[in-house]
Amino acid sequence: MDNFDVIVVGGGLAGLSAAYTLGKAGIGVLVVERGDYSGAKNVTGGRLYLNPVRKLLPDIWEQAPLERFVAKECIVMMGEDSSTAIELTSRKFAQKPYHSYTILRAKFDQWLADKVMEAGGIIITKNRVDELIMDGTKVRGIIAGEDKIPANVVLAADGVMSLVAEKAGLHQRQKPLDYAVAIKEVIELSPQIIEQRFNLEPGEGTARMYAGAITHGMFGGGFLYTNLSSVSLGLVVRIKDLMEHKPSLEAPQLFEDFKQRPEIKGLIAGGETIEYSAHVIPEEGISGVSKLYGDGILVAGDAAGLALNTGITVRGMEFAIASGVFAAQAIITATKNKDFSAQSLSEYERLLKNSFVLKDMATFKNAPRFLDNPRLMGLYPQAVCDTLEKLMFIGEQPKSRLVGTAMSEMRKKLKLTQLLKDGYNAFRSM
Amino acid sequence: MDIIVCLKQNVDMKQIRIKRDTREAVLDGLPLLFGDMDKNALEEAVRLKEKAGSGKVTALALGSVKLKDTIKDALAAGADEAVILIDPLFNNLDARTKAQVLAKAIQKIGKFDVLMVGEGSTDNYSGQFGPRLAELLDLPALTYVKQLEFANGKMKATRNMEESFEVVESSLPALVVVTSGINEPRIPSLMQILKAARKPLQEWNAAALGFTAVDLAQNDVQVVSNLAPVELRKKIIFEGKLEENVDNLVNNLIKEGVLRG
Amino acid sequence: MADLNIKAKLAKDTIKADAERHIKVNAEKCKVCKERVCLFICPARVYTLNKDGEVALELDGCLECGTCRIACAEIEWHYPRGGYGVQYKCG
Repeated sequence: MDNFDVIVVGGGLAGLSAAYTLGKAGIGVLVVERGDYSGAKNVTGGRLYLNPVRKLLPDIWEQAPLERFVAKECIVMMGEDSSTAIELTSRKFAQKPYHSYTILRAKFDQWLADKVMEAGGIIITKNRVDELIMDGTKVRGIIAGEDKIPANVVLAADGVMSLVAEKAGLHQRQKPLDYAVAIKEVIELSPQIIEQRFNLEPGEGTARMYAGAITHGMFGGGFLYTNLSSVSLGLVVRIKDLMEHKPSLEAPQLFEDFKQRPEIKGLIAGGETIEYSAHVIPEEGISGVSKLYGDGILVAGDAAGLALNTGITVRGMEFAIASGVFAAQAIITATKNKDFSAQSLSEYERLLKNSFVLKDMATFKNAPRFLDNPRLMGLYPQAVCDTLEKLMFIGEQPKSRLVGTAMSEMRKKLKLTQLLKDGYNAFRSM
Repeated sequence: MDIIVCLKQNVDMKQIRIKRDTREAVLDGLPLLFGDMDKNALEEAVRLKEKAGSGKVTALALGSVKLKDTIKDALAAGADEAVILIDPLFNNLDARTKAQVLAKAIQKIGKFDVLMVGEGSTDNYSGQFGPRLAELLDLPALTYVKQLEFANGKMKATRNMEESFEVVESSLPALVVVTSGINEPRIPSLMQILKAARKPLQEWNAAALGFTAVDLAQNDVQVVSNLAPVELRKKIIFEGKLEENVDNLVNNLIKEGVLRG
Repeated sequence: MADLNIKAKLAKDTIKADAERHIKVNAEKCKVCKERVCLFICPARVYTLNKDGEVALELDGCLECGTCRIACAEIEWHYPRGGYGVQYKCG
């Protein structure tokens, strides 16, 4: 009776983008989402880079519930009691088509789910996929509670923990070295206050990254994104670093300490926290990408480890959308050929390799190694702040020469060889 | 046994947030679902039908356009068919008018043995709906029902009187008002949800039930405001010198009317 | 150090408690575990020590992020059943 061509596990960006593309192509698709609605279990830091995916989901972006386009980018180096900010305001960023937007997932995913249903896809919420129907190593459908539902292809789009891809043997249980935990609060503020505080025009938004003392030298950093009438404030720390840090630091406390920093406090003053969330992020780059296909199964989005942190940009959502669309395209071809073998579905990997997804991940393959450097997450931001502090401070005594001041400050903490090495790695990773 | 169950669509109360400054509930964009006791009523109806071995359960609901989605919850949870009442004219009806609309719809559905409703809705809990329907349809009413049994052509109900349990019996057709303890509603499986999409669903508007805009404009009870209670604690913390703090505290207490100046 | 009221933070979220426990720990293994990273790694402070010094779980605050599953190989971890657990309004 209920025979679906494709079952998508997970109604997030990857799953919904796939279902939308399949629905438009007239292929019978069922999305199974465990939350009360699509987006109920999803968390983003906050920003979607739209250019790479604009054409992949044609004609839908005009009505999309995007929050603000990002017109200002800010990187803040955090010292113990000081900070140095670099802000980029660019007319290019403030021109249509805008290249990136802040978003809130509960809102966005529900909207995309509606689009999927308009395209003929069926979405079942409040249901958890427990197992896969397996025939040897071949995937033949899903099991949810008592119900077994067969399908030609299962798309595992069940997020970063992807228990489905794990059950299909496409990846192993995640390791603490390759994943970071993110903690976020959404803090409500009126649009007017947001625009005043961040010096924004109506509709404009800002994205801020914070690195340095806030993570105590651990891999990670803070972020702040402005939404329409709230800000998303978060902190990311690699799980392994958190496990090994002495003395032990409590993850939620780290976030709270960040929130209480004077640099942040004024920005969110008077705001009301309306949500507290946590999520895990893949940080391994291209070497962390899972096996992408098997017999009767594909893996997309976070589930496949498709995310890229270069230190300057943090990307995941557009990879999820694109991988969902490419998975759908591979399935459409497989359906035409009536062949759902691993060989046939490997088309998906080919599409990803020819696209920005795996190309960008390959280009920045050294980024995780470059970022895996405690000096970058502690010493350098501190050194920048200390040096500027020395240069800009006038005391009672005569001031020493500027270059000398800066160099002696740096030399106290840094070895030149190390600095050169880190500089070289930065060059290689970019 | 043919049973009609009335269900009320409301926002997911667990998702409601109160705005700190205005004390208003934030309802925008919240998911819609049926009330908790409505689910109890539906579950009891499905169990009665299953026990009887024949008949059908009809879910009847009035609500917004989104009801087309929400009603699937009832169809997945065991209703055999559904009637939904959607019309802009149905917005913001008071309990009396709403009962009149539902009574018309029930008459239009036709023959039934039991009319089942929950004791109160999850959102405003006026608790009038059951008794009003019984009056409009001239039915015997069994209220506050915590246990239900059908035997020898009679409906036997245990009524929860808090201090005592009263057992009553009634002939059919009858109206039954259930309380929350009567059962644990089932959680529909994936397959049941899929099947729900293919069950018969009818949509009626005001005109289909013979109501005009004038008929439905007679709202006697108007909601004037709906605010969260004022938080009693002021949570004012005085920081500074002790003497100043004491002065501040006394001044504030005078301002609040606790002390007389 | 700033005051951390995790309960107040979690109270902002909608979390539908599942009667079925979706995370299980092995009491015997927890007893001899020296690191007990679960106690400080969890963003929702789901893991605490009870008065007998045993690891106890308050699953009603779980945000389902999976950090504990990654940090500790001994944790038996699943998502809550469909329709239960956290339901984000913003995300």
